[in-house]
Amino acid sequence: MNEPPASVALTAHLALLSSISFGGFPTILPDVRNFVVATHEWLTDQEFANCFAMAQAVPGPNMILMMSFIGWKVGGISGALAGALATFGPPCVMYFAAYRLWERFRATPWQSIVRGGLVPVTLGLVIAGGTIMARAVDARWQAAVLTVAAVVLMLRTRLNPLWMILAGGALGGLGIL
Amino acid sequence: MLPDARTSNGGDQKCEGRVSLGALFIAFLKVSLCGFGAGLVWAHRVAVEQRRWVSEDEFADILSLCQFMPGPNVIGIAVCVGSKLRGSVGAIAAATGFVLIPGTIGFLLGVLYFQHAHFAVVQNILGGISSTAAGLLIATGIRMLVPYRGRPAALLFAALAFGLTTFSGLPLLTVLFGLIPLSTAVAGIEYARAQ
Repeated sequence: MNEPPASVALTAHLALLSSISFGGFPTILPDVRNFVVATHEWLTDQEFANCFAMAQAVPGPNMILMMSFIGWKVGGISGALAGALATFGPPCVMYFAAYRLWERFRATPWQSIVRGGLVPVTLGLVIAGGTIMARAVDARWQAAVLTVAAVVLMLRTRLNPLWMILAGGALGGLGIL
Repeated sequence: MLPDARTSNGGDQKCEGRVSLGALFIAFLKVSLCGFGAGLVWAHRVAVEQRRWVSEDEFADILSLCQFMPGPNVIGIAVCVGSKLRGSVGAIAAATGFVLIPGTIGFLLGVLYFQHAHFAVVQNILGGISSTAAGLLIATGIRMLVPYRGRPAALLFAALAFGLTTFSGLPLLTVLFGLIPLSTAVAGIEYARAQ
């Protein structure tokens, strides 16, 4: 059998997955794991987990980074680039097309009805996203207090959130959390 | 080609001429670098509050649109805002700003980190940052919900979406496709009554 090189196969698979990752990229992570760890054994489970932790840890676009780390492990720098492109390329084309379409129907009655239905659900999901993130990272009560403090400061003051991020990082670094 | 309906509807834009591609690139570079898992917070702050490139309503539209499309959602906000201001080149400028430099920095930091295993201090700092970012994300969601406070049905569906995703363990897609038809139907009834 003429198997395609590993990074080509990975790129094609990521492009496919990113095109169907409805509900956000994390929904397809189990499938990515199956493909690179179970099916092809390019990475061990530990390496896969490390890629995830790292992508969360560094600034920048997390999921795109995670896929580029996996691409890097599989095929070096070119694998990393291909993995990143496959992750954001196809969805970007879709965002663009969908937005154009949506704008074309601006101010039609059905659009304001759809908006009235969609937006509240979306905002509920945003708050849920923050809560789930907090539940994953706030291991001690001190960290939970920090999360609540960030909510209150963000809602009640006009303080630049960057200061809050820096303060949070400093408190963490001092071992207070 | 169809006449460009977008310009006639974007009347709340500042009349200072076109936004430059460089400004789009830089703005979304900042959104990406400051993100730490809460890129939405920064996208809202930069595009709505600081630059006033899109209105609160338009931003909520864009976010909803991106939420229901596949892919990493925050880059979708970059694509849509860029597209609104400068068409396809604007979308490319904003998306490139979001990915190029932050991606490179993140990747290099990541490779370094892989090679030097785990520093406890770094882990602790990142933990503190994540706890804060989670709070910022919650606050941004609440803040965007404020314009809907006069619509009890909207608040109810937001609460349902929040509760089901956070506490039920149902898959996100199930929650979405269960709630959206209902909430859209209710919005339709409200709309008909208001006429």
